[in-house]
Amino acid sequence: MSSLAALDAGEQVDFVYLRKILNLTDGNLGAHLVKLEEADYVKIEKTFIARKPRTFINVTGRGRDAFNEHIATLKRIISDAEK
Amino acid sequence: MNVSREDARRSLDEAEAVAERTRKSIAASHTGGLLMMWGVICTAGYLGTYYFLEWVWHIWFMLSGAGCIVTFWVGWRQLRLANPIKVPAAERIGWRIFLFWLLLYVYMFIWLGIVKPRHGIQINAFMVTAIMFAYIVTGLWFKSHHMFWLGIIVTGITLTGFYLIPWNYYCFWMAAMVGGAFLITGLYIRLRWRWCDSAHHK
Repeated sequence: MSSLAALDAGEQVDFVYLRKILNLTDGNLGAHLVKLEEADYVKIEKTFIARKPRTFINVTGRGRDAFNEHIATLKRIISDAEK
Repeated sequence: MNVSREDARRSLDEAEAVAERTRKSIAASHTGGLLMMWGVICTAGYLGTYYFLEWVWHIWFMLSGAGCIVTFWVGWRQLRLANPIKVPAAERIGWRIFLFWLLLYVYMFIWLGIVKPRHGIQINAFMVTAIMFAYIVTGLWFKSHHMFWLGIIVTGITLTGFYLIPWNYYCFWMAAMVGGAFLITGLYIRLRWRWCDSAHHK
């Protein structure tokens, strides 16, 4: 989600590229994405470019909100512990 | 669920590291290489202008023509084929950006015809600042800090060269400073990406 949330709104990232950045296997990343898609946090689009199948993923508004909330919670935990 | 401060800090650091790696990786694409190519073109063009003044139009026509063809080809490939990041909105407005740049060149020649600058340096300073204006606009449009700041810096360099540098040194100033600005920006994008990549694989 960190990687997807780093994209600008409306940007879609290639599955293979994302796998490389995150240093994950096909199966591992695929399983993560299925869970995120079920929660409506990401949208997966399968398409053909130059007759080759490509999969693009983008984060939904709901996913971005959830991720921002998660980051805010982590920051709150850190700041509360420092008080 | 209880999350300790250390766990929260670790999660936050990991999230930030992945986000930064993604953005830098996207930024690396072909942008750095293209900017470096334009840096070489600028340096070669200005040095060529100084040493072979009678061929000035031929030199710039060939160099910038070749640069435009390569830039257009790479841009088209990135947009349509090899780019790992798809921006449907950019794909929709891609042709408008192309049209904007095409019209800019048409209008530059119209304005030059109207104003009729007397000196080659005036023509050059006009063309460079007009192109940098397009860099700034494109940078603002696509939220590209590199394009925006490069446009601002090169405009400043050109105005400094035009108003403060003796005219016989203008070409050397522009070759070093404008060419250098493009090369350094391109190099920065490339090296930052490689540094980030090697840190990730350690």
